[in-house]
Amino acid sequence: MALTALLACPLVGMLLILALPKTAVKAIRSVALLATGAALLGSLQLLAFFQPGRTQVQFQEKLSWIPQLNIFYTVGVDGISLPMVLLTALLSFLACIASTSITERQKEYYALYLLLEVGMLGTFLALDLFLFYVFWEVVLVPMYLMIGIWGGGRREYSAFKFFVYTLAGSLAMLLAILALYLRTRSFDMVHLAAMGHTLDLGFQQLLFVAFFLGFAIKVPVFPFHTWLPDAHVDAPTPGSVLLAGVLLKMGGYGFFRIAYPIFPEGAQWFGGTMALLGMINIVYGAFVAMAQTDFKRLVAYSSVSHMGFVLLGLAGLTAEGWNGAMFQMFSHGVITGAMFLLVGVLYDRAHTRNLEEFGGLGVRVPVYAAFLIFFSLASLGLPGLSGFVAEFLALIGAYGRWTWQTTVSVLGVVVAAAYMLKVIRQVLLGPLNTRWAALPDMTGREVISLAPLLLVVLALGVYPLLLLQIQDTALQQVIAHVLGQPWQR
Amino acid sequence: MSTVLWESLSAWWPELILSLGALKVILAGVWFKSPRGALTFAWLFVAAAAAALWVAPVPPSTDVFFGLIVCDPFSLVFRWLALGSVAITLLLMSASRELPLSLRGEGMGLLLAIGVGLMLMAEANHLLMAYLAMELVSLSAYLLVGFLRDARSSEAALKYLLFGALASGIMLFGMSLLFALTGQLSFPALLEAVRGLSGPMASALLVAVSLMLAGLAFKISMVPFHMWTPDAYEGAPAAVTALLSVGPKAAGLALFLRIMAALAPAWPALAPTVLGLTVLTMTLGNVVALVQTNVKRLLAYSTIGQVGYLLIGVVAHTALGHEALLLYLVAYLFMNFGAFACVVAVVNETGSESLEAFRGLSKRAPALALSLALFLLSLAGIPPLLGFFGKFLLFQSALDASQAWLAIAGAVNSAVALYYYANLIRLMYFVPSESARPVRPAAALHVALGLCAAATLLLGLFPGALLEWLSAHASLNLL
Repeated sequence: MALTALLACPLVGMLLILALPKTAVKAIRSVALLATGAALLGSLQLLAFFQPGRTQVQFQEKLSWIPQLNIFYTVGVDGISLPMVLLTALLSFLACIASTSITERQKEYYALYLLLEVGMLGTFLALDLFLFYVFWEVVLVPMYLMIGIWGGGRREYSAFKFFVYTLAGSLAMLLAILALYLRTRSFDMVHLAAMGHTLDLGFQQLLFVAFFLGFAIKVPVFPFHTWLPDAHVDAPTPGSVLLAGVLLKMGGYGFFRIAYPIFPEGAQWFGGTMALLGMINIVYGAFVAMAQTDFKRLVAYSSVSHMGFVLLGLAGLTAEGWNGAMFQMFSHGVITGAMFLLVGVLYDRAHTRNLEEFGGLGVRVPVYAAFLIFFSLASLGLPGLSGFVAEFLALIGAYGRWTWQTTVSVLGVVVAAAYMLKVIRQVLLGPLNTRWAALPDMTGREVISLAPLLLVVLALGVYPLLLLQIQDTALQQVIAHVLGQPWQR
Repeated sequence: MSTVLWESLSAWWPELILSLGALKVILAGVWFKSPRGALTFAWLFVAAAAAALWVAPVPPSTDVFFGLIVCDPFSLVFRWLALGSVAITLLLMSASRELPLSLRGEGMGLLLAIGVGLMLMAEANHLLMAYLAMELVSLSAYLLVGFLRDARSSEAALKYLLFGALASGIMLFGMSLLFALTGQLSFPALLEAVRGLSGPMASALLVAVSLMLAGLAFKISMVPFHMWTPDAYEGAPAAVTALLSVGPKAAGLALFLRIMAALAPAWPALAPTVLGLTVLTMTLGNVVALVQTNVKRLLAYSTIGQVGYLLIGVVAHTALGHEALLLYLVAYLFMNFGAFACVVAVVNETGSESLEAFRGLSKRAPALALSLALFLLSLAGIPPLLGFFGKFLLFQSALDASQAWLAIAGAVNSAVALYYYANLIRLMYFVPSESARPVRPAAALHVALGLCAAATLLLGLFPGALLEWLSAHASLNLL
């Protein structure tokens, strides 16, 4: 029941908030903090009792849901989903702390926020394709409303684009799920993975592409990325944190959990395209980020670039590549989450995000400067921080199979250094722009929302085994399965 | 003779009660000029009919009234759908401020008559019966559409009447051709007779069936016979529009399935056409809905789009397809009536049917906006709402019947449809309103909204029991 309890935390919180009067803002905020905090504690408890060496799914629960169609409420975690669950719970809690910038319609906001967390957690916990799809879609509506109501800029347009783009991708996935069910009469992911090799190649290719569409739009993979900069920039800060930190990972997770294990031959057939798209993501995202003057937009495009490493690592189909890709999902979630929080801190004070208008803030706001420098270095892949481990592993793992694509991708790392250092220079260094002479430094609450992320990035960078030992067994097993060894569960 | 009649009558209590109710309510409304009394009587008779249907759902002998109608499990689903439509429409009518109080009695009487007609359409086992049932529904509907008695309402009624009469004529012509070919009118006998046709007679059969289906297509707003829909929907009182968008569609589809079962030999030749028209229906409905600015017209085109999805179940032509069709009809009943209940509430308050009237509704009436958002998301097919599960089954039935393109067309259409459904949500939630005055729906609307919202959400989360009940009643053998 541990996992159902985990899902229940935000759900109960949401129902409580709906029952509260909308003027009781303090109570609403406290309930939201308690609910996300409880979910974080629940996920840490999972971590404590998780047995890393086992290949089986752990904490599994299976209840019949719609028996006529063989649909079950199946949830469970293994080394692939546990890091994602931890990431979701951590970022949801911290972004909830950072939600003080939301000053209107708090009741609706926190109710939607908690619904969003239910959807995100459920997506990573579900082991039944139908259930997975339901959670996957549940995420859309709260995020749509969050961008549209509390966003800035062209919020309506961005929210709409986000909604329609992702729904279009999901519908391709829905048809694939149905086709798969009609062939196998099962929605059980573990069962489907076990029979993956028995599906004929044409069928696998077709369905892999359909699932790819659904996941690629979420990741987002070039050329399906155009919704991302709009949505990320116009969303309120906590929305951006969860979009970049968690929602993008849902796409990547789909490849690990569904597309690769269930369609192993299809996945291998698609490997070249995957590596190529990964490369384009990395290089294109980096160069476009370089050209941005809006801080938030720059971070958004850096996400496109960094998620490319996930694709490249996946295409490598080696233990290093997959560990790197998975590590990147976690690491990028934490780093980008922190970067969006930092953008939010600055924007709340200066009401502009134009990099060219800043300068010399390093003297004025030393604590902020320290955080910004730390996370910028993490983002550009400085050894000793988590981003380096992830990108290094992904590149090494892909090199053997996709040599030139990997070589070109290294360019992305170089450009990343350039644009991240550009941020530091334009914001913190140089002469102090007199407009910001009275800019206050970070408040205690803001430090609290960022400090845990800093610790995680540092810990994973210094001692990557913390995460690697959780995910390695599960990843090795899936790779062995994709490459043709029988499934052992 | 008399025993047959007695047995038939006892199998037919719900319809009987509803017919008596129609007369009594009209009497109360017109003679005694008492709208309150009419409303009470209407509820009493609807409740009695529901009780009768609950007590004796399927009679032991299903061939009643000398084979004119058939009260089989399949028709039972549609009888419930018809009763549900009537009951929710009654709620909307009693809350609507559009309808003049003095006319409500007549309106409710006609409503109950439509209820009888809808049930008969689903039960008809004989061409004559089918025609009579359709006319009963149509004639009452023409009157209800013109109930506002203003220019727009009258124009809508006249348009509806002219198109409807034409469609009835075409259908009748098809029936007479069929009678000339076979000499039969009863469905089981028709199937026997049609099986023996060959050569030029078989071609003549195709003509006859096409003509009949054209008449039916008018009823269910299938392209290219949909033109009346937006105009009639726009002019009619919102409560009547709600009824028209659900009741006749469900009954029409039931009759469609029955006629196709009776004329099964003609199906293979017609299937490609129906398939093409299905795709056309959903595409046209959804695409034209994108540019609507009047909420009733928007929902009219949305209805056409939804009929397109429903037809997937017909085209699939399998037990699964029928099951999916039934489930989606149940979903459609709740979500579409729910959406219309919100429209009635907004029209009551603002007097405007423009989409602009929904601006900032989330602030003026949070519960109303939330439930409308729920219905729209369900219509768009977002899980975990019932509309999603219905679509899930429909697409599944299409893939199962090797009609992958149909499923793909449905999926693409769902993405297109999201545009206009989400647009309405955008207006309610993102755009501030000019007036801050709260919107307070009448009590009857609260009941309707609560019922529809609870069904859309809870049945969507736990569709197992509903699915089981429906699959016990869906059958390929409709004769």
